[in-house]
Amino acid sequence: MELISYQDEGQFVSGHVACGGCAEALAMRVILNTVGSDAIGVVSPSCSAVICGGYPMSAVKIPMFHTTLESAAASASGVKRALVAQNKPDTTVLCFAGDGGTYDIGLQALSSAAERNEDILYICFDNEGYMNTGGQKSSSTPLDAVTGSTPAGKTTRKKNLIEILAAHRIPYIATASPSHINDMRAKIEKAKAIRGTKVIIVLIPCLPGWGVADNAAVRTARKAVEAGVFPLLEIEDGVNYRLSVSEKGDSIESYLKEQKRYRHLDADHIARLQAETDFEWRRLQQRVADSPARNP
Amino acid sequence: MNVQQSPLWTTQTSGARLTGTWRSALPDYRFTPSPCLAACPVNGRIAEWIGKIGKEDIRGAWETLIDNNPFPAIAGRICHHPCQSACNRQYHDETVSICALERYVGDAALAEGWRFNPPAEERGERIAVIGGGPAGLSAAYQLRRRGFQVTLFDAKPKLGGLLRYGIPDYRLDKNIVDGEIERIVDLGVEVRLNAEIADAAALKKLRDAYDAVYLATGATSSKKLPGLDYNAPWVVDSADFLAAANAGNPVATGERLVVIGGGSAAMDVARTARRLGKRVTVLSLEPEDKLPAQRVEVDEAIEEDVVFVCGAMMRAVRPAAGGLALDCARVEFTPGKKRGEFAITPLENATFTLEADAIIPSIGQNADVERWRGLLGVAGPVIGTDGVWRTSVAGIFAGGDVASMDRFVTQAVGMGKEAAVEIARFVMGETAGSGFDVGPTLPFLEINTHYYPKAARHVPATAAVGERLQGFGEVQERLAAEAALAEAQRCFSCGNCIFCDNCYFYCPDMAITKLEGGYEVKSDYCKGCGLCVEECPTGSVRMREDTQG
Ligand SMILES: Cc1cc2nc3c(=O)[nH]c(=O)nc-3n(C[C@H](O)[C@H](O)[C@H](O)COP(=O)(O)OP(=O)(O)OC[C@H]3O[C@@H](n4cnc5c(N)ncnc54)[C@H](O)[C@@H]3O)c2cc1C
Ligand SMILES: Cc1ncc(C[n+]2csc(CCOP(=O)(O)OP(=O)(O)O)c2C)c(N)n1
Ligand code: SF4
Ligand code: SF4
Ligand code: SF4
Ligand SMILES: [Mg+2]
Repeated sequence: MELISYQDEGQFVSGHVACGGCAEALAMRVILNTVGSDAIGVVSPSCSAVICGGYPMSAVKIPMFHTTLESAAASASGVKRALVAQNKPDTTVLCFAGDGGTYDIGLQALSSAAERNEDILYICFDNEGYMNTGGQKSSSTPLDAVTGSTPAGKTTRKKNLIEILAAHRIPYIATASPSHINDMRAKIEKAKAIRGTKVIIVLIPCLPGWGVADNAAVRTARKAVEAGVFPLLEIEDGVNYRLSVSEKGDSIESYLKEQKRYRHLDADHIARLQAETDFEWRRLQQRVADSPARNP
Repeated sequence: MNVQQSPLWTTQTSGARLTGTWRSALPDYRFTPSPCLAACPVNGRIAEWIGKIGKEDIRGAWETLIDNNPFPAIAGRICHHPCQSACNRQYHDETVSICALERYVGDAALAEGWRFNPPAEERGERIAVIGGGPAGLSAAYQLRRRGFQVTLFDAKPKLGGLLRYGIPDYRLDKNIVDGEIERIVDLGVEVRLNAEIADAAALKKLRDAYDAVYLATGATSSKKLPGLDYNAPWVVDSADFLAAANAGNPVATGERLVVIGGGSAAMDVARTARRLGKRVTVLSLEPEDKLPAQRVEVDEAIEEDVVFVCGAMMRAVRPAAGGLALDCARVEFTPGKKRGEFAITPLENATFTLEADAIIPSIGQNADVERWRGLLGVAGPVIGTDGVWRTSVAGIFAGGDVASMDRFVTQAVGMGKEAAVEIARFVMGETAGSGFDVGPTLPFLEINTHYYPKAARHVPATAAVGERLQGFGEVQERLAAEAALAEAQRCFSCGNCIFCDNCYFYCPDMAITKLEGGYEVKSDYCKGCGLCVEECPTGSVRMREDTQG
């Protein structure tokens, strides 16, 4: 059995107000302890902002700058430039945002920062919806998922933000899952050492938002990875793809079964989602195979 | 550059908020017996010692093993391994090769010459053990470990009982038996060989001379096949046959043997005879799929060209040209409610004849309860005992084949251990225990199998058939080091914490503290989500209701 290995340096503390069993808090624990104390955080309105804590209590040992929903990447760029001006170029600027703040409302700011290759480590906690405001759909909500604003299931696909980011040719893009803690830690360490824009999208099965049992967020995330619904990947310079988990299982059903938001699906819908998953997986394999680093 | 900070920026950590008030359940760390532990006749802490093999701590594994069983090399060869039938891993892929791993450790101990530590303190109480088979030796060992003075009596010139005089060398090499017995004797057991305790009066005398007596005389008389003339020169007693062959002086018989019986002893007789160059037929009442012998024994016997005539009985024997003719009939076999019970109906229209030079009936062993008549109460075919191995006479305890129909070596070892515990209580004036049930075991569903990718089981290699029939060398080989290590890692460690830290790392609330050799839940912060429980691979932490906050 592979053991989990990282040092909890106490960078994230008990008493935060995440739901019991929240995988976002779990991921924050890994990320904050891996990034360490020489860092400044920028956080957009989202569950992560709530978990970091409102004045006068903070669950996070580094300073956190609470910005607007539109401007996480822009604020982070500013903080980084100010640090450089103060001759502190090695201080990590860590940005926390939700999928609403990344795929939708903050996309312009992120795209601009990425185009300028700002030296920020941007973490998107992707719980596939506007969750701290009660669970509305975002452009990250997947096809067929029920949210407060898509009561019969969403009729459009999840936006492929990874490809949008890859098109910016930033040095590092990765996905991570709270079920794969060592992989998450390794990706944070790697990103931290790279200068330029780094974006890591972390899948967060939201307990109330997805209708997942209190003890099941990690298991659900693991099933997403194993079913190929949420592949764990890295993209360097927008072109070199690598999969951290290179096999996928045959069926997404066990993943769907963990969640109430898919409870209404009949066999035809499940088959359609399966076909989509298989198709995307094949495309990803192709991208891995076509990566220039593999074809010198 | 020391800038004065505005008090506006001074925050406190969220540690002041006690989220423990949110919960309705709290995780609880606890050891739960694995199903293998409960099924193991000596209740060995299997998960624990296999875990040590996985960490390449073979000495540590042995130290754990010998708490309950001084014979890991013997048990690792010939135990009927009910642990494996109970193993949770079978519901995932295949059972863990517990028995082969036990041998792996036992052999290492013999090769390295590891000895038992002398008792921490010597005590004055004297205990007599009658019978130096696995039951008596196990009791003597456990009593010596506790510092009691033990005298062991055996009728035979050497210790071991059926380990020495019953089980053939090709399954259990006698150097192994010698090695594991010697260690026990070296603990300071006073051994009296060729010392038969003849009758009830002699037993009573021993009881008077010692603080307690343990009776473990086995089941030494062969069951008799009705209607067979045991005085005929062509009838050979199976126990005599095996004892002689084991001692290297086989009984002289003709070429063609018919072994009657379908149990392990019959397999041992048949396969021993094959190694002596005989042509062997096994005749059993049971059909082949219901033979009481273990399947592997039957398969290996078939490989060794033993001919099986199953579902049939011998009705008469008569001299015939150049030997004997056995008049046989096919039977209808109906198993009864209990193991060993059955009914048979001969089929008159399906008779046949077998030719042979000698017959070896091997239909089981009886305990000699007559010998103790007038002193010890009996229960059916064995000496009567209560749940804690006390006979009808205060201070006389009994176990092994003489007191039980659970006729296996490790059953005898387990009974010897349990009796030792009770004898210790008795001589120290404590009240008797309430039995040896280990309670509920860890269900498979509490294992997080994600942490155990499917992996094929490692089974020990067996010698080629041609080689086997050349002599009495052991059939089964020892697992190689890499295979043992990989097999050990297949164990789920059911209910037995492996200190993997998953519970600690998967808590989103930092509510688990690592301590020396364990963990503690901070009830101030635990929200009761159960993630630690869910992500525990081994089922060593569980939620219990807790609404106090
Ligand atoms: C051929 C054969 C093969 C077997 N194979 C297996 C196997 O593969 N696996 C397995 O688990 N089990 C096997 N068994 C069963 C197993 O051997 C017995 O269940 C086990 O040995 C019982 O142990 P015990 O200590 O009660 O008796 P025993 O092993 O019979 O030992 C009894 C001892 O008491 C001594 N004794 C008897 N009477 C007196 C007396 N009056 N005074 C002094 N000493 C006395 C005897 O000399 C003997 O040493 C086999 C049995 C047979 C017959
Ligand atoms: C421009 C703007 N619109 C709406 C809001 C209200 N608002 C605050 S958080 C939030 C949801 C954000 O969703 P997401 O970024 O996915 O984070 P999550 O709550 O899911 O963690 C919204 C709509 C806002 N702060 N600013
Ligand atoms: S997996 Fe290991 S602990 Fe569990 S029953 Fe099997 S051998 Fe015993
Ligand atoms: S994971 Fe943490 S918060 Fe959840 S039950 Fe376990 S100790 Fe409590
Ligand atoms: S998760 Fe690991 S360390 Fe925690 S109780 Fe289970 S086995 Fe022990
Ligand atoms: Mg969201």
